[in-house]
Amino acid sequence: MFNRYHNVIKEIGLFLPPRIRSMVEKLPFELLEQAEEIRLRHSRPLMLHWNDGEAYLGKSGVVGKAKDAHFVSGEDLEKTLELISNHSLYAFEEELRQGYITLPGGHRVGLAGRAVVEKGKVKIFSNISGLNIRIARQIKGTAERVLPFLVDRATGRLFHTLIISPPQGGKTTMLRDLARLISDGVGILGQGQKVGIVDERSEIAGSFRGVPQLEVGIRTDVLDACPKAEGIMLMLRSLSPRVIVTDELGREADADAVIEAIHCGVTIITSVHGSSLEEICNRPVIATLLQNSYFERLIFLSNAQGAGTLEAIVEGERGLPLFSSQSKGE
Amino acid sequence: MIAKLLGAILIVFTAYCYGCSISAVYKNRVKRLEELLLSLEIFKAEINYGLSLLPEVFRSIAGRVRGPIGVLFARTEKYMKLQDGFSAGDCWRKSLQDSEGELELDKDQLALLKKMGPVWGKGDKNDQLKQVALMQELIRQTLQEAREERVKNEKMWRYLGLLGGCTIVILLL
Repeated sequence: MFNRYHNVIKEIGLFLPPRIRSMVEKLPFELLEQAEEIRLRHSRPLMLHWNDGEAYLGKSGVVGKAKDAHFVSGEDLEKTLELISNHSLYAFEEELRQGYITLPGGHRVGLAGRAVVEKGKVKIFSNISGLNIRIARQIKGTAERVLPFLVDRATGRLFHTLIISPPQGGKTTMLRDLARLISDGVGILGQGQKVGIVDERSEIAGSFRGVPQLEVGIRTDVLDACPKAEGIMLMLRSLSPRVIVTDELGREADADAVIEAIHCGVTIITSVHGSSLEEICNRPVIATLLQNSYFERLIFLSNAQGAGTLEAIVEGERGLPLFSSQSKGE
Repeated sequence: MIAKLLGAILIVFTAYCYGCSISAVYKNRVKRLEELLLSLEIFKAEINYGLSLLPEVFRSIAGRVRGPIGVLFARTEKYMKLQDGFSAGDCWRKSLQDSEGELELDKDQLALLKKMGPVWGKGDKNDQLKQVALMQELIRQTLQEAREERVKNEKMWRYLGLLGGCTIVILLL
C-alpha cells in the first residue's frame, strides 16, 4: 500500500509543475489511495475526485473551501501539457486529435479545449483549457469469478462474450483481467492462450509509446490506438491469436470484423455501453449480433456497489441466466 | 645581452599570443554559429521524419555536434531528464548559464540563443518547424555579421599583438 502511494506520487508528480506537485505530495495516504482524477480547469480550483467524493487542493494540501484552493492558471496548464508530452507536443498530434495522452504507468490525461475541425472531423485540440489526469489502477482478480462461466467444460473452448455496463461500470477492468488470466493461464483453462488486444483508445493495456503499462498477460499482443475493425483483421492476418479482446463496439465495421473473427475460429471478448439488454438492443449494430446469437455469454456489470459490480451472466442464445446477483442475495 | 634578448623575445611572443587569443574569439564565434545552424538542421530532420521526443533530439544533436554547442544541448537534455517539473525553456536557460563562458559569443549572439528557449517543444510539428526556420534565418544574419567581423578583426588583432610586443621592447630598450 505504502509503495503504491509512492508509485502514484512518483508517476503522476513527474508530470506536474513544481507548484502543483507540492500540493499533491501533501495529500494524505488514504485520499491518494482512492483518488481517481486530478482536475485542472483554467481559472477554477484545482480538484481531486474519487468514486463518491471530491476535494479542493491548495497550498497546504486539501482545503475546505473553493476560495482557498489553488486557482489553475494558463501557465499551470501550459507547463503541465509540456511535461506530459515530454517537452514534445509536436510528437503527440494524434493523441491531441483523440483528446487524450497516455502516461507511463498507464495513467491518462484527458484534454478539454477548442476543437479545430477539418472536413467535419476534429483535427486537433488547441487552447487547452482543462486537463483531467486519470489515475490508472489495475484491479487484479475481478475476472476470476466470471471466467468459469466463459469456458466450455467439454472442449475447454472459451465462449464469445459481450460485457455490458454503463460508463465507469468496470468493463475495461474486466476485459483487462480476462485478457491477463487467459494469457497467463489459470486452473480452469490450463495453459495460457495467445491473446490479441485491439486497444483503440489505449484504455485496456494503458500503452505508453506502444508498450503496455498494465499487466495483460505473457501471451498477449497489443495493437495500440488502432481502429477496432482494422485491428481485428490485422490480428487475424498476422498475429494468430486464439482470443481477441477489444472494447466498446459501436460501428457497423466493428461488427463485421467481429463476425469475420468468429467465423475464423477466434474467440471474441468485447464490451458495449448500456445498462440492460433492452437498451443495447436499440442499437442496430449490437441488435444484429445478438439476434444472430454470435455472443454465447453476456455479462452485465453495474456500479451499484462500486465499479465492477457483477449483476448477471446470461447464456447468449436462449437468454438463460447462469448467474444473478439478486438470486444470489436471496 | 643574452638575457635582454631572451626577455625581448618573451615579451614579443607573449603579446603575439595575446593578440592571437583575441583573434581566435572572432574565429570561434563563426564556428559556434555554424555549429548552431547544423544543430537546427538535425533538429528539423529528427522531428520531421522521426517525430523523436525533444530530449532524444537533443541527445542526438549532442552526439553529432562537437564543441560547446554540443555540450549546450547535452546539458539541456540532462536537465530535462531530471524531470523536476521545469519546462524545456527553463532547462535551456539554465544550460545556457552554465555554458556562457565556453561559448565565447558576444552579447547579441547570446541574446539570440536565449530567444530559442521558449521555442523548444511548443506547438504542433508545423509550428515547431516554422519557429526553428525563423531562428535559422536570424542565426544566418548573425553569422554573416560574425564572418565580416572575423575578416575585419582576426588579422588585425594578431598584428596588433605582435606590434604591441615590439613597441614595448623598443620602449624598454
